[in-house]
Amino acid sequence: MTALLETRGVWQRFGGLVANSDVSISVGRGEIVGLIGPNGAGKSTLFNLIAGVLPPTQGSIWFDGEDVTRMPAAERCQRGVGRTFQVVKSFETMTVVDNVIVGALVRNTVMREARRKAHEVLEFTGLAARAGVLASDLVPAEKRRLEVARALATEPKLLLLDEVLTGLTPTEAQTGVALVRKVRDAGITVLMVEHVMEIVMPLVDRAIVLDLGKVLVEGKPADVVRDPKVISAYLGDRHAQSA
Amino acid sequence: MDKDFSSRRRRDLIIAAVLAAIAALVPLFVKDVYVQNIMILTLMYAALSQSWNILSGYCGQISLGHALYFGLGAYTTALLFMKFGVPPWFGMIAGGLISAAIAMALGYPCFRLGGHYFAIATIVIAEIALLLIQNWDWAGAALGIDIPVRGDSWLKFQFTRSKLPYFYFALVLACVAWFVTWWLEDSKWGFWWRAVKDNPQAAESLGVDVFNSKMGAAAVSAFLVAVGGSFYAQFVSYIDPESVMGFQFSLLMALPAVLGGIGTLWGPALGAVILIPLTELTRSYIGGSGRGVDLIVYGSLIILISLALPRGLVSLFSSRKGAAR
Repeated sequence: MTALLETRGVWQRFGGLVANSDVSISVGRGEIVGLIGPNGAGKSTLFNLIAGVLPPTQGSIWFDGEDVTRMPAAERCQRGVGRTFQVVKSFETMTVVDNVIVGALVRNTVMREARRKAHEVLEFTGLAARAGVLASDLVPAEKRRLEVARALATEPKLLLLDEVLTGLTPTEAQTGVALVRKVRDAGITVLMVEHVMEIVMPLVDRAIVLDLGKVLVEGKPADVVRDPKVISAYLGDRHAQSA
Repeated sequence: MDKDFSSRRRRDLIIAAVLAAIAALVPLFVKDVYVQNIMILTLMYAALSQSWNILSGYCGQISLGHALYFGLGAYTTALLFMKFGVPPWFGMIAGGLISAAIAMALGYPCFRLGGHYFAIATIVIAEIALLLIQNWDWAGAALGIDIPVRGDSWLKFQFTRSKLPYFYFALVLACVAWFVTWWLEDSKWGFWWRAVKDNPQAAESLGVDVFNSKMGAAAVSAFLVAVGGSFYAQFVSYIDPESVMGFQFSLLMALPAVLGGIGTLWGPALGAVILIPLTELTRSYIGGSGRGVDLIVYGSLIILISLALPRGLVSLFSSRKGAAR
């Protein structure tokens, strides 16, 4: 079976800066894949290319057997790509349920059904009690959760999570991990960009490490964390030798 | 939760129906022509502001050039009537359609502009249109068009003996603009517009067609404003560029919504009911030679509201936002 998502030789240049060079990755159906790497590795750029914020300078992106390289974000969403934002982008003047309805309208044209779907997703993500609250009144961890809820309401095949677990208290992060597992169990493939290694590694099936815009290593989380190249990318060469 | 929501919508509809019924009865008791005149203008501005609110309040694209669509409605109706004998009822629809088309044609380049740049572009475009009309001889240039009034006629939408037909038409117009807003509020478009206003990038990631959302809002908004302009042309039976396309109309459409609560269902009507009578009264009683007292009143009101109630007067009654806490 073909991969759900594939990038083929993707390059992204911003002026003289090469953010992604020749990145080819693939994500299989039902996987949880972690995209990790030190700051400035090009994770966010790759993430945005996959979400359709901008087209790559070179290379192609395939989703569900279709070339989506030049497809705008809104259309990708209709095909089944859902995403969250690293810096949360809630619809602040709208209530929590109204935020989620916007997402639900992708697959439900009748308002009553979109509303029902939204409540269902709020139940799933544990936000049901906050449905009538304005998004601006949520605490940060709830806003992250709302990002996920909104994306889930679009009924994606692939959910892109951009640092949803970063900056949370350990308890909040554990609830977040449980939610990601639940999402996968619902049959949704997950690609997550994450910083905090110790949270991500037990969660993902496979990790892809980016460094300086290139794929450095990819494989099982346990192997990846022991790889000298990864250690050197994160901590410097001296540590890699002693490992 | 769902029940709360639909009962609130039903309650809004009932309140609106009751208010409209009360408004319809007022002329039975108020015979003073001057007061009737103020009521007509209040209803008209309520309708205009409600229409402006669709694009600028719900969709967040602040237009300060809606006088263009008001003028287009007035001119289309007057010209079709004077040059081709087309009854104003058809002129009204024609003016609406032309305005909607022009709003979309202008939106095509302008909706790429963000934030304040969009607002500035709308001012500039409306001013250019004003200059064009002032120099267009066939349309009466700066002198304007005098619509001859020959007795009462429903077909020609002219009434000399009584202002009541105008009053009822303005009431219907205000009700229609309110109802359209009410209906759109709980539709895919309504949700798309609010999403676009709050965060276009997030909206896009959720499958919202941001550009077409703005185009749709512009078209609906311009259509309704143009119908208001057509009505105004018939009501005053004399139009010139400055009196239907001047910048003050753009402001007079925006201010009631800002005062009452921008992007809310009740804000524009509430704002118009307070602002328009106040303007008319200050103009006639303390205006006189000191033109501009009404503007001072406006300015002070807006400053007061933005300091004390940034979400507008409706936030005083707001159950939705209040209950959310």
